[in-house]
Amino acid sequence: MVSGLFIGAVISLICGLDRVAILQVMVSRPIVAAPLTAFFLGDAMVGLQVGVMVELLWLARLPVGAAVPPDDTQVAIGGTTLAIILGERLGNAGLELVLLCLLVAILLGKVGQYFDHFARQHNVRLAQKVDAALDSGSLLMAELQHLRGLGSFSLAALGTYITIITGGLLIIPILLPLIQQPLSYSSSWIELALPLVGVAVILGTVNVSRAITLFCASFGMAFLLMWLV
Amino acid sequence: MNLVLIRIDNRLIHGQVLETWVPFVGADCIVVANDEIAGNQLKKMMMQASVPSRMRVEIGTVDDCVALLKSPQLDKCRTLLLFGTPADAVRAHRAGLEFTNLNLGNLHADEWQAQLSCTLFLSTVDLVDLELLDHAGVKITARCIPADGERSWRKLIPAAKGKA
Amino acid sequence: MVIPRKTRVYIWFRLLLLQASWNYERFQGVGFFYALLPGLRKVYAKEELLAVSRKYTGYFNTHVYLAPLVAGAVLKLEEDHAAGKLEQQVDIKDFKEMVAAPYAAIGDALFWGGLRPLAAAIALFFAVKGILWAAVIFVVGYNLVPAWFRTVFFVHGYRRGIKSVEFIQQHKLPDWAIHTKEAAIVVLGGLSAFMVFSHLTELQLPSWLGMLTLIPMVMLGLVARKGVSTLLLIFITVGSIFLLGLFWVDMTQLFIMLGMDL
Repeated sequence: MVSGLFIGAVISLICGLDRVAILQVMVSRPIVAAPLTAFFLGDAMVGLQVGVMVELLWLARLPVGAAVPPDDTQVAIGGTTLAIILGERLGNAGLELVLLCLLVAILLGKVGQYFDHFARQHNVRLAQKVDAALDSGSLLMAELQHLRGLGSFSLAALGTYITIITGGLLIIPILLPLIQQPLSYSSSWIELALPLVGVAVILGTVNVSRAITLFCASFGMAFLLMWLV
Repeated sequence: MNLVLIRIDNRLIHGQVLETWVPFVGADCIVVANDEIAGNQLKKMMMQASVPSRMRVEIGTVDDCVALLKSPQLDKCRTLLLFGTPADAVRAHRAGLEFTNLNLGNLHADEWQAQLSCTLFLSTVDLVDLELLDHAGVKITARCIPADGERSWRKLIPAAKGKA
Repeated sequence: MVIPRKTRVYIWFRLLLLQASWNYERFQGVGFFYALLPGLRKVYAKEELLAVSRKYTGYFNTHVYLAPLVAGAVLKLEEDHAAGKLEQQVDIKDFKEMVAAPYAAIGDALFWGGLRPLAAAIALFFAVKGILWAAVIFVVGYNLVPAWFRTVFFVHGYRRGIKSVEFIQQHKLPDWAIHTKEAAIVVLGGLSAFMVFSHLTELQLPSWLGMLTLIPMVMLGLVARKGVSTLLLIFITVGSIFLLGLFWVDMTQLFIMLGMDL
């Protein structure tokens, strides 16, 4: 279990930094981060399941300017890690466990935005230290201040991950026996509904006129084709 | 004149305006009231190039924009008006442009006095200007993107003063 | 003094760390300084370098994938400036500020608003099918375009200097962004239909029921347009499906009981 949590933390750090601080090659997207985590934890399919459910949810929240979107990276990684680790401990509880882990992660993942805010606010001090370094004539010090920013973003990513994991490990073992049976009636529908909620939010907020018309036409067309075939 | 949003944003047209506010308020015309951009052909062209061609963009000095908005030319458009600084908003208001709501997006004064929120760094002059508008009955709120909560700037002031 | 090729490559790599110290006061400002420093070192002597550096650490923000284009052009301008070749009085600081916001607007619309949903929607088809390669398909497929912008336009910016802005006026990228978004919406329509259809087939329910999903989806879309948070929508949807599930089971049990009693 400890090694599993550690693997999760490493991936949370790498993918978390990709969100803002470095690279931006989109390994931070849930569809990548969740299967990646799950692959190293030995049950890749769970990751794919989580990835599909989370990917679209906040895809419409763009990191424009200073706006901080909800941290779907840590939600995906935390949810996957919880599902696999608790699956091993509590006996494989199937889709209900995955859903429960994900919902808990979504709720606790809200802290990610605050941690991200703190990191960006904290980095203001680094900018001032750069000024000071230049005043004292040290370019090397000024360069180093920039890299120190990686520390703040790392802490923010890990902080979110640890919050989700700790909360999940405490709540889910208690909640699962209570909710597993009632949840089993609707679990597959919820699994279907989550990505569709994401699609709906994209439709509502995308900067395209007649997005809903376009979507309905495409949906109807595809549906008809599948029905015909 | 159909103003759907009046916003102060020192970056003027950028991602937040085009990707979040335009679909949110359903605007089809952006008016940028900024003397500096209006006076520089290259800057004006760059700014126009960043907007999709189906949207109407008008870039002019504050006075020109007020005149344009008062004329019936833009009556059929849902207009989003952008100012670069609170001072420009005050000028427009004095020139007779009537508005009741004002959105604060991004403001980065170099010598800032008060930080209202993550993206609002106001100078002393900005504070005075906003105070003027507030007295004139304009409801001033800070909201970076529609997904953020709307907060009255008054409520943010004490926290800022505590810090400064 | 010309900036050697090796240094330019080094600067390109440093640009990958552009946002490492992103903060609310300067945005990418410090990062931009960090990336350009090796180049500035080649152009300026030690005493001048400090003064020039101060010019760069201030507020700056553009799209990450278009920052290399700005950086390339700025390097060229600094080179020319040092060599005294700069026609008229081009202010370099003014130049980078002028292009930053339009590039940011274009990049946000094209990459975050258009390309990312499109790539995600396509990759999700594979993921829904249970193909693990979906993750790789997404990363590779998505990054083709940003990689092109990051490398080719860095070189382009350095070659053309101030004229590099022409590409933006010629190519109508904001319109391309809209086309990409429309494509993304069409693919998302197909994806949603596919997911609903396969779910119904799996449960052996009549497939026409799937058309009904459009109603709650459009409703959710309209609610989202009003600015209701996604988190709330998620919990409302999950909550109602959960309650419906319970209700359904109770009803079937009731019917079974009644049937037995009768």
